[in-house]
Amino acid sequence: MWRTRLFDNLVQAATWMAGGLLILTILAVFYYLFAESQYAFARKFPFGFRVALQPLNSEYRDDISMDPTASLLAAHREGSDELDDAEDATRLPLHEELVSMQPLVTATAQTADLNRLRPDELFRDCMRAPKRAEQGERFLLLAFAMPTYNGDTMELAWEPDVSFDPAYAPYEFRLRLVRAPEGVRIDPIEVNLNQQPKGRLALPVWKAHSPEEYLKGYLFELEARPTTTTTLATIQQFLKPDWAPTILYARFGMLPLLLATLLITALSMLFATPLGIAAAVYLSEQASPRVREWFKPILEILAAIPTVVLGYFGVMLIAPWLQRLFAEGLQLTSGRGLLATALMMTVFILPTIISLSEDALRAVPNSLREGAEALGLTLAERIRLVILPAAKSGLIAALLLGVARVMGETMIVWILSGGTPTMPDFSSPTAALGTLVKPTRGIPDTIAIEMGNVEFESPHYGHLFLLGLTLFVLTLGINLLGFVYRKRAQLQL
Amino acid sequence: MIAAMTPTKAKTAIQTIDLSVSYNGKPALKAVNAEFYENTVTALIGPSGCGKSTLLRALNRMNDRIPDAQVQGKVLIDGKDIYDRRMNLTRLRREVGMVFQKPNPFPMSIFENVALGPRLHYGLKGRVLEEVVEDALRKAALWDEVKDDLKKNGLALSGGQQQRLCIARMLAVQPRILLMDEPCSALDPISTQKIEELIVELGKQYTVIVVTHNLQQAARISHYTGFLMYGEVVEWGETTQLFERPQKQETEDYIRGRFG
Repeated sequence: MWRTRLFDNLVQAATWMAGGLLILTILAVFYYLFAESQYAFARKFPFGFRVALQPLNSEYRDDISMDPTASLLAAHREGSDELDDAEDATRLPLHEELVSMQPLVTATAQTADLNRLRPDELFRDCMRAPKRAEQGERFLLLAFAMPTYNGDTMELAWEPDVSFDPAYAPYEFRLRLVRAPEGVRIDPIEVNLNQQPKGRLALPVWKAHSPEEYLKGYLFELEARPTTTTTLATIQQFLKPDWAPTILYARFGMLPLLLATLLITALSMLFATPLGIAAAVYLSEQASPRVREWFKPILEILAAIPTVVLGYFGVMLIAPWLQRLFAEGLQLTSGRGLLATALMMTVFILPTIISLSEDALRAVPNSLREGAEALGLTLAERIRLVILPAAKSGLIAALLLGVARVMGETMIVWILSGGTPTMPDFSSPTAALGTLVKPTRGIPDTIAIEMGNVEFESPHYGHLFLLGLTLFVLTLGINLLGFVYRKRAQLQL
Repeated sequence: MIAAMTPTKAKTAIQTIDLSVSYNGKPALKAVNAEFYENTVTALIGPSGCGKSTLLRALNRMNDRIPDAQVQGKVLIDGKDIYDRRMNLTRLRREVGMVFQKPNPFPMSIFENVALGPRLHYGLKGRVLEEVVEDALRKAALWDEVKDDLKKNGLALSGGQQQRLCIARMLAVQPRILLMDEPCSALDPISTQKIEELIVELGKQYTVIVVTHNLQQAARISHYTGFLMYGEVVEWGETTQLFERPQKQETEDYIRGRFG
């Protein structure tokens, strides 16, 4: 007697513990994802403009170094702590060197305070400690010619630094002439760099004869005025179509990743839904008990194949096949991409969908089948008009579970997606075909690929957690919806 | 309560000739010869497992559903054997409707439940279909209760209403023969009474065959009664006679409640 009671109590305790553990895990995962994504919001948005004096109508060399003397007005790359100015900024050469080598000079001041300008604190490049987007940033820039310069006019030219896109900085950039040198008559200058990120302006020549006179040259100010708060800017950037987390001016737009994941899910469900439900209908309504006896264990074995095996199977079989099929028109170097991933995902999810759908169909009471048959309905009519509608909630629950599993499945996308974040493009048939067969990258594989190399607690790290949170919320939402449908199915029958 | 009158001069609607059914080799019905008359109610009674449900299901080939069931003998409707290979099952079931022990409305609206059959069998739609549905619901004595709410799910009705909905669903395909497999056993007394009244009413226009456990019910609603035991017909005759002057000892024992 006491033994039975002890056993009952133990079983009950184990159940409660398991349930509690699961709920705690869900809460902990959610909290952890939420807490770690704060590092995404600790982001300081970097920016960089190159500004230089040039002889009139001189050509830009290229996008990176339009002029060796260009001053780089840039907030420092993100993630770095406050840095030592002297170490990271290039000092202005001595006056004698400038005279002989660089007749036109742009010099960046180490202070934004006019009154504290000093000739020995001028630099050619100025990378400064970042401030948060709310705070903004101001740079002072001096422009003057050496006595050896023999042109009549000079030109102030500017352009964004390589890989810096003003559209990806939550600032309004203004380049303004603060003060013209004495004796020079010139109209006020104020340029909006958001509208005109690249441009040039003619200036009357003004020569500095000594380092002390540098400070009397043209004085410009570059102001980066925040347009929004860091939090809002982070979220806005997160929804942009560009994922490039490792370049100097990092971009964390997750749209291509999200769309790839959604497209892979949609495509594989497009394949798996009719196949899975048809197979389930066959198994539950038509197959002899003997076929069912064999089919069910085979399904379970299929469902138990490790996804890494499925992934490599796809690489060896499906990708080369797709490549051969589309190589000519699209110059594919591999068949990895959306379609290959979706096909393998279909194989991955089919056993689960068939199994759960069959359960849903078999939960339809036999009395309904008898009633429909006694009414003279043919098998096809019974299935279409009575059994499928009766099993609808259960079938939807099965499909939703499939959606959630495909969405979160990592290994298959990791191996088969091709690993290049790409915005889907369906503007023309060719573009659409390219979208399907060219490399792409989803959310789960991005986390898996990048989490290993990321700097701990950097903005990149935070954004990976933000990606994880997005995926978690998506799959949790779909699972909850599936739960609602399962409950409804139970209530109906 | 409802005294069923025996009609004079009845025409045979169904005749079984040496009908035997076995499940997995075990006989459930042994060489049954029976006749069911037009526009009468016939009740089948007998202890559990006696074969009365099997007999009923043999009359519209519902035993085909059971993979191991084997049928021998003939069932003649209008002189044609329904177990003939050329028999069209859809047409057979249009002629022979069936209602089950547990109400089994489809998970759709009341209207759709009734409209499904005529739409599929006769291609009815629109106004004509609505009239057929209304007519069937009226015959099943359900119209007044649901006429304002035809869009409501059939499963939302009470048990008795559900059973009457199933009867309406059956009537809508215009059968001539109605099979009822213990139609009241899952219902409360008031619903049972309504269904019984309905069966008596339907007996005036249809050939009704009712399997029942409830002997009083059989006595109340049927013109003829068949008593089965161990897969064989023990006694078959007019209800009043069978209940008042049974010919066989087993029949008497059963209806006096000595076993069963």
